[in-house]
Amino acid sequence: MSKIKKKRVGFVLDMTPLVDIAFLLLTFFMFTAKFKSDTENEQKFQIKRPMASADTSKVPDKDLAMIKIGIDTVTNDTAYYYSLSNEQDRKVVYNSDKVQLSDEARQKVILKVTDLKVLEALLKQTRMANLRMKFAIDADKRVQYKWIEDLTNVMRLSNATVFNFVTDRPS
Amino acid sequence: MGGGGGGLQAAPKVKRGSFATVRKKKKRVGFVLDMTPLVDIAFLLLTFFMLSTTLTTPQTMEMSVPPETENVEVKQSELLTVLVRDDGQIFKYMGDKKSNPPEKIALKDLRALSVNENLRMENKLIVSLRISNKVPYGLVINLLDQLNIAETDITQRLSAKGMKRERKFALTPLTDEDIEDLKAL
Repeated sequence: MSKIKKKRVGFVLDMTPLVDIAFLLLTFFMFTAKFKSDTENEQKFQIKRPMASADTSKVPDKDLAMIKIGIDTVTNDTAYYYSLSNEQDRKVVYNSDKVQLSDEARQKVILKVTDLKVLEALLKQTRMANLRMKFAIDADKRVQYKWIEDLTNVMRLSNATVFNFVTDRPS
Repeated sequence: MGGGGGGLQAAPKVKRGSFATVRKKKKRVGFVLDMTPLVDIAFLLLTFFMLSTTLTTPQTMEMSVPPETENVEVKQSELLTVLVRDDGQIFKYMGDKKSNPPEKIALKDLRALSVNENLRMENKLIVSLRISNKVPYGLVINLLDQLNIAETDITQRLSAKGMKRERKFALTPLTDEDIEDLKAL
């Protein structure tokens, strides 16, 4: 009888452990969060990366020249997209008079390149601007191998003989 | 007056009925703070960061190609050629094409092949990849991945024999002759 009589009106739940865990997770996700860079904001295509499980090294975020080969979602055509992670290098390379670009293109963060000659000039200027520059090829798995072969030939010509293929880990 | 803002300190005893001191009688021992808004905000931020983060970061597969000026001479007997046809079928032959005609091989068998041949030749084997330029890039990466997986195995077994692994690897374009040869298979 006395049990039933107990008041349950001002019911209080101790939320302290809940808050502890919530803040723990919150800080974890806050520190691991990485936001979209300028380059990704300007990108108008999505890359479906190929899967590879052997190599697990991460893509460097400093001194990186990224060559993307993407299929445009609207027009469905393939092109090279060139971008540099360092803003200073970007200014130097994009404004170099050895690279034939329109004035409008020079202002952009990500360059759409269809001419291999232009790509070669870009790669050469990039290597001159920063010797520590690493090259990464991020291509859609559906593109024909011809695009990669042409690109690696151009890279050999511009002495960028070490490069990385960007892949995804199979889930 | 003493115990005005004194936190957990008990209020001084006062006579009942005295109207002015009624407020000070309030107990402050079991002090409870309403955490609900705090929890609300915490969970709101938590869900935002959880949804905005991508946990799968891309990885890289490192490649190095010889500079344009370098021409490497190779013995044909030390060459394992892997050919990829337009439709993605993979073929291989060891050494000379005349004596060892190209054979069809599945992608998953490539790893075992690479391990076996490399151990047989003990560091001398050169894998030459000739890939048709109509093949999707994803297949090429899968192929390279198989060879990379084989690599850890080879390195391990060779170091057990006291040898240091030196990898030799070539990416060469598919010639018209190769295309003709593969058509019939």
